[in-house]
Amino acid sequence: MDTTSIPPKLKEEIKVEDEKGKDREKDIIAPTTSTMIHRSSSRPQLDLSGAAIQGNFEERDPAILLPNQSDDIFHLALDIGGSLIKLIYFSRHEDHLVDDKRKKTLKERLGLSNGSRRSYPILGGRLHFVKFETRKINECLDFIHSKQLHRGGIDPRGWSSEAPNNDNAVIKATGGGAYRFTDLFKERLGVSLDKEDEMDCLVAGANFLLKAIRHEAFTHMEGQKEFVQIDQNDLFPYLLVNIGSGVSMIKVDGDGSFERVSGTNVGGGTYWGLGKLLTKCKSFDELLELSQRGDNKVIDMLVGDIYGGMDYSKIGLSASTIASSFGKTISENKELEDYSPEDISLSLLRMISYNIGQIAYLNALRFGLKRIFFGGFFIRGHAYTMDTISFAVHFWSQGAAKAMFLRHEGFLGALGAFMSYEKHGLDDLMAHQLVERFPMGAPYVGGTIHGPPLAGLSEKISWMEKFVQKGTEILAPVPMAAPRTTGLGGFESPSSKGNTLRSDDAALNVGVLHLVPTLDVFPLLADSRTYEPNTIDLSDHSELEYWFTVLSEHLPDLVDKAVASEGGTDDAKRRGDAFARAFSAHLARLMEEPAAYGKLGLANLLELREECLREFQFVDAYRSIKQRENEASLAVLSDLLTELDGMNEESRLLALIEGVLAANIFDWGSRACVELYHKGTIIEIYRMSRKKMQRPWQVDDYDLFKERMLGSGDKKPRPHKRALLFVDNSGADIVLGMLPLARELLRRGTEVVLVANSLPALNDVTAMELPEIVAEAAKHCDILRKAAEAGGLLVDAMTNIQDLSKDSLSSTPLMVVENGCGSPCIDFRQVSSELAAAAKDADLIILEGMGRALHTNFNERFKCDTLKLAMVKNQRLAEKLIKGKIYDSVCRYEAAAG
Amino acid sequence: MVRSMPHLDVSGAAIHGNSEDRDPAILLPNQSDNISHLALDIGGSLIKLVYFSRQDNLVDADKTLLGVSNDSSISSCPITGGMLHFVKFESWKIDDCLQFIQSKQLLRRSDSLSEIQNNAGNVLIKATGGGAYAYADLFKDKFGVCLDKEDEMDCLVAGANFLLKAIRYEVFTHIEGQKEFVQIDPKEDLFPYLLVNIGSGVSIIKVNGDGSYERVSGTHLGGGTYCGQGMAMTGCESFDELIELSQQGDNTPIDLLVGDIYGGGDYSKIGLSASTIASSFGKIMPGKKKLKDCRPEDISLSLLRMISYNIGQIAYLNACRYGIKRIYFGGFFIRGNAYTMNTISFAIRYWSKGAAEAMFLRHEGFLGALGAFLSCEKQIPVGAPQSISNAKGGGFKKAYHLKFKRFCTKISSVMQRSRS
Repeated sequence: MDTTSIPPKLKEEIKVEDEKGKDREKDIIAPTTSTMIHRSSSRPQLDLSGAAIQGNFEERDPAILLPNQSDDIFHLALDIGGSLIKLIYFSRHEDHLVDDKRKKTLKERLGLSNGSRRSYPILGGRLHFVKFETRKINECLDFIHSKQLHRGGIDPRGWSSEAPNNDNAVIKATGGGAYRFTDLFKERLGVSLDKEDEMDCLVAGANFLLKAIRHEAFTHMEGQKEFVQIDQNDLFPYLLVNIGSGVSMIKVDGDGSFERVSGTNVGGGTYWGLGKLLTKCKSFDELLELSQRGDNKVIDMLVGDIYGGMDYSKIGLSASTIASSFGKTISENKELEDYSPEDISLSLLRMISYNIGQIAYLNALRFGLKRIFFGGFFIRGHAYTMDTISFAVHFWSQGAAKAMFLRHEGFLGALGAFMSYEKHGLDDLMAHQLVERFPMGAPYVGGTIHGPPLAGLSEKISWMEKFVQKGTEILAPVPMAAPRTTGLGGFESPSSKGNTLRSDDAALNVGVLHLVPTLDVFPLLADSRTYEPNTIDLSDHSELEYWFTVLSEHLPDLVDKAVASEGGTDDAKRRGDAFARAFSAHLARLMEEPAAYGKLGLANLLELREECLREFQFVDAYRSIKQRENEASLAVLSDLLTELDGMNEESRLLALIEGVLAANIFDWGSRACVELYHKGTIIEIYRMSRKKMQRPWQVDDYDLFKERMLGSGDKKPRPHKRALLFVDNSGADIVLGMLPLARELLRRGTEVVLVANSLPALNDVTAMELPEIVAEAAKHCDILRKAAEAGGLLVDAMTNIQDLSKDSLSSTPLMVVENGCGSPCIDFRQVSSELAAAAKDADLIILEGMGRALHTNFNERFKCDTLKLAMVKNQRLAEKLIKGKIYDSVCRYEAAAG
Repeated sequence: MVRSMPHLDVSGAAIHGNSEDRDPAILLPNQSDNISHLALDIGGSLIKLVYFSRQDNLVDADKTLLGVSNDSSISSCPITGGMLHFVKFESWKIDDCLQFIQSKQLLRRSDSLSEIQNNAGNVLIKATGGGAYAYADLFKDKFGVCLDKEDEMDCLVAGANFLLKAIRYEVFTHIEGQKEFVQIDPKEDLFPYLLVNIGSGVSIIKVNGDGSYERVSGTHLGGGTYCGQGMAMTGCESFDELIELSQQGDNTPIDLLVGDIYGGGDYSKIGLSASTIASSFGKIMPGKKKLKDCRPEDISLSLLRMISYNIGQIAYLNACRYGIKRIYFGGFFIRGNAYTMNTISFAIRYWSKGAAEAMFLRHEGFLGALGAFLSCEKQIPVGAPQSISNAKGGGFKKAYHLKFKRFCTKISSVMQRSRS
């Protein structure tokens, strides 16, 4: 956010003590007249005048807000149902502002200003999803109170107690309990519940999720989840089937435009009610649990029972089709006690799910709706219920229609209530501005029901430690119910019954939604709708198992590095252990249920690891290693440059590309390379690697690239206008590989933008570190120095200030932009807005390294010329992707698509 | 192989008895031949039997075996000649059925030419329903009878088409307890129609014409579900007992109504009145209510509504899908029960906003059996002259015509009575 563009604004720097007692600087925007300015803008939005200080990387830590938080804005909404309370709250989180010279020059160069892209700022923040059992409503009240959610967050200085307006605070709420608990909320928290219509909320919530979250909807057939990418422009109309006590079927035509077209009185309440009368179960969950071990063929009359074991194939009914639910209990002289509750429960579940699926399908047919989404408390992520419904829709539509479910289905109502605030500013939030993260507790609690909030990092660590003692039994593979082939009977038997013993929504986690308004879609993607970053499909279980092993084996080394990076103190060790446990738990969870956190790709796994490190406040595990390697490489840079300058253009270009590939051998994420480090110094390895560079490489489009660069014969091609260089590792990789290549491009008059990570990931170089490296390199090279000055990366004190602007802007600039990620991979659907802006004039992209060029984006095309360079440091990947072997090189060149 | 075929003549068929009778016998005034006099529909919960008799030869002792109430129609048959009788048994009491067949000597009439014999010399009986397969061996062992299996759907449709075309005062609507007969003009507005046969399960069939139909849908929530769940929860021993109970029931302590959710008010925004059931059995869950706290009457009623309403809705949605206006409900679930018919009718009217009406058949339970009975005519079209004639000659036909005239006057007077 550019504070200068919001006049007049008082900027104030304050220091806040965090748990580690370390000073952290945050920019605070104090109350000013800006409130008025915002109001006058054409659309609703959050008030910026009370910018938040976010407590570090702690997901569950409260947002710390200044008291000038405008009183009519609340960030809490509730859906109080019969069995669960769903709570959504929004905590604000601003990335701290780095308004340095680099950014300023960049903005001038790229024509980047906040005002041009959006007439108002959207506030960054986090959307949290929490559930409580309704019978434990006090826990919910305590939770709200402890976080001061009803007052807009905790005020560290106790100012909010002085704010008088809080007495009239209003919280948006929906669900039946919004009426029932009105008095309780008034009494305990002094807030009024503002009731929102249930159906309005459901629809608003579903619309938001389907538009804003990329992998929200999934199908569930025979235990297999498959995420469905919904085209935002082709979302409406759809049928929303909400299965509560009864069932509502809603035809949704657009935002706020919907109609309840049908419903049925045979719903969750029927299952529970009949189940209770027939089995004496005490709770819904108990009943659901029972069904997992049931066998409905004792209860239901199957087609086979009527036809003496034969199919009635003429009309397409197999012997296992249920002809009549409970039909078998008539003929035998048995009492209720003679039937097992398990069988009854299963039979009931199928009776109801199947019926709902059928009626839903018939309604979809009637209105010509292609998509049917099912939600409501009856489903609760319960695999067998979803299978049964899916089967019914599949059966009746003869495969033409598919039932879809929503990952956040339990939160539709609460989200809708949240959306009903007029000034949430989330109306047109786009999928690329949301990042979902799963905090450390996710694998344990399944995101289900939270106890008291964890106050800080140390509490979190001790929770982790405590949990590990009990955790083994929870993490141990969940025993599956013995597979029964015939017991499932029914409509070709959905087979996922024993999928998990946890009947509640344990199968899917709901993370924290991070709203990052500065994220954008990379404009040079050939087709952003079909873009899929991950090259490797982890839904292949053996692939997942392989990466699980790789990451697990790498873990001890990573923990060592991380602990060392924090000085190896006891505190760091404790955090290191907790990190290892948390990450292992995530891995175990994902092995058990790969779809638990949404669609899983290798990029997500690698990013999860980095996020997990940050969660335990390992800011940069490879800090010292990176520094050491940078220094060693910079020391030999000038020799390399001299050597290069002695070559003719043609051999220089080849030497440069070879250099990039050879230098890419340094990668602390690769096990093979970590072993190499024990054998020699970085420079020795580089030289060795260099020597091995024998063309042709395993993937070798070098000649194509050379022709584009140097032309053939007398024809000299036009140099590129601007190149984006996506850099990978620190050390030799950036210094001896990419920088010389950048220098060559600059020499040819091509502007160069070095694109690096916003946050550290392994030994990847970050955008924060680059200016220093460039500055150091510039000492050995005039080209680099001039370009760096022009790009605002360094200030040459020798140059006259007046000359600077004239001179530097006229020469070809070298710039640095951050990519918006903190992962070894890159997802081009979500990059920083400054990268998106830099891409506007770019006509060459160079992706370097395994993470960005192989694991992700290997098969993706761009609108401009693209060079993908990497050395493969993984045997399996080499075999799979390029039919080669470890240390093979990839040089893939693709001319502009289209 | 050329067989000597008896001839079934259904022309002039009419219901015997008054309009309130259930499963009334059907007179076949023009029937000249002695025909195959027995057909079975062996379903999941009931065995339906249709047989032809020349005269009323039932003795009182036999009546006790008949599960239901067609005594009156059978007892007083004023006209000799042809009459179709309709009897049913519970499937698990198949022995009773066999005994009945034996006692009526339905398989052993020495003068009969009607039994079609197969090559092995075994007697063949037309049978349909799943049980025709399941019980085939039993019939063979006990009577040396082969069940000649007819397709269930074929039979259902044939039975329904016959009733709709040939029998007046067969079809009626039932709205809020008011029964009203509907006259169908077979040429004008018979096809296409939707036939909803509610047995243990439910089949929904789109009928386009004679022998032309498609099973388009169905549901597993049917009579078997009602009976199975109802008996388990109430301790009732039979379907009829369960239905009987429901008459004194009140579903409000069991079902969650819209009014319960919205504090007694309607949720008029979406067109739901306070008395609409939001969730069947939905009131059980929040309370501490156990089975023994619920009146069996209420349970039975609540179940009945749940299932009837659901069937009505699915039937309507299917009618909608194919743009069909006429929906006929048959099958043994209905049993002439006013409440069931009211509920189904209500569901159809509610969902169609009054555009469609549920219609019921007096012989609702016997469509399949009737179809099986009629299927012996597949070889020789109804009323067509026989190529190979047997002993019976044309002279008899004339006599029947005379009889028929007498019969028609009698019937019309019965009808006038029922109208007034």
